[in-house]
Amino acid sequence: MTEAAMKVPGGKMVRVSLDSADSKIRKVVITGDFFLHPEELIQELETQLQGHQIDRSQLTSTIEEFLRRNNATLIGASAADLASVIVSAYSR
Amino acid sequence: MDDMRFIDLQTHTAHQNMAIDESIMLALERGSVPPTLRLYRWKPSAVSIGTFQGMRQEVDVDFCRSKKIDVVRRITGGGAVYHDYEGDITYSIILPKGHPLALDDIPSSYERLCQGLVMGFQELGIESQFVPINDILAGGKKLSGNAQTRRHECLLQHGTVLVDLDVQMMFSILKVHPEKISDKLVTDVKQRVTSVRDLLGTRVPMEQVRDALKSGFTKALGVNLVPGKLTARERLTAVRLVRQKYSTDAWNFLR
Repeated sequence: MTEAAMKVPGGKMVRVSLDSADSKIRKVVITGDFFLHPEELIQELETQLQGHQIDRSQLTSTIEEFLRRNNATLIGASAADLASVIVSAYSR
Repeated sequence: MDDMRFIDLQTHTAHQNMAIDESIMLALERGSVPPTLRLYRWKPSAVSIGTFQGMRQEVDVDFCRSKKIDVVRRITGGGAVYHDYEGDITYSIILPKGHPLALDDIPSSYERLCQGLVMGFQELGIESQFVPINDILAGGKKLSGNAQTRRHECLLQHGTVLVDLDVQMMFSILKVHPEKISDKLVTDVKQRVTSVRDLLGTRVPMEQVRDALKSGFTKALGVNLVPGKLTARERLTAVRLVRQKYSTDAWNFLR
């Protein structure tokens, strides 16, 4: 697993542990001191991202769509922030 | 004024405190208890981490074990917090969905509920401000951190009041990461937190802080605090939740 972290300006810490192969996510764990409502969605999101291409704008879209579809509220970070940290972890 | 059950300052273990919060939510969902405010302390002293945090990433677990400091994962997001028995009062407010104080917009609801603390601090002679997302600052330093979850058809917001601060201990326990410091452009993390004692220049008894918080919540939230206790069922549920969830590695080391 590779790791990356980012403090969102005016927001919270996002950390990613990433296992990748062929520029796709095999497994991702997203931790940090942000808020996500409902909280259980974090595991669903991580599962949904398995097999996803590690591409900043595609990841941002997928995560945004996930949040929208689930009526979720992410506070202290945005979908783009999560995507950014995943990409950073990949570049390590 | 709306009535609110008030469970006065009690001391429990970390696992018990988290279990009691959830137990009250479940009771409120059943409609068997009223909206509730509780104040509590943590004994032994403990660390709680946010629900999305990695325990070992945030906490020196070996150090905690060696000092017999409890560790627990909360059901709320947010960060890692050291709850010093000698220096921390924590509040939990539990409201049913749709309650006038449980605003739909989460960022606004933090501000609304945190007014209880701002008013309480004012009673102690401390000027403080709510700062989004979930902090209360005095003199630019953090005096209270707060976290919210919405589940079981209720809202739970809980947060700390830093009555006194053992900075050395806090920073032995919590793994403070360089990124967090550099964003604030502060090289010394000790400059970012404060306590009632630091601000007033004197140690204030817990009971006095309790009285100020009680008064602050009453005035700011427009509620009538009615002294009450956990029901027998709430207590039983809390015991079960300690055993099945909050004392387990499966929960606490989930991430």
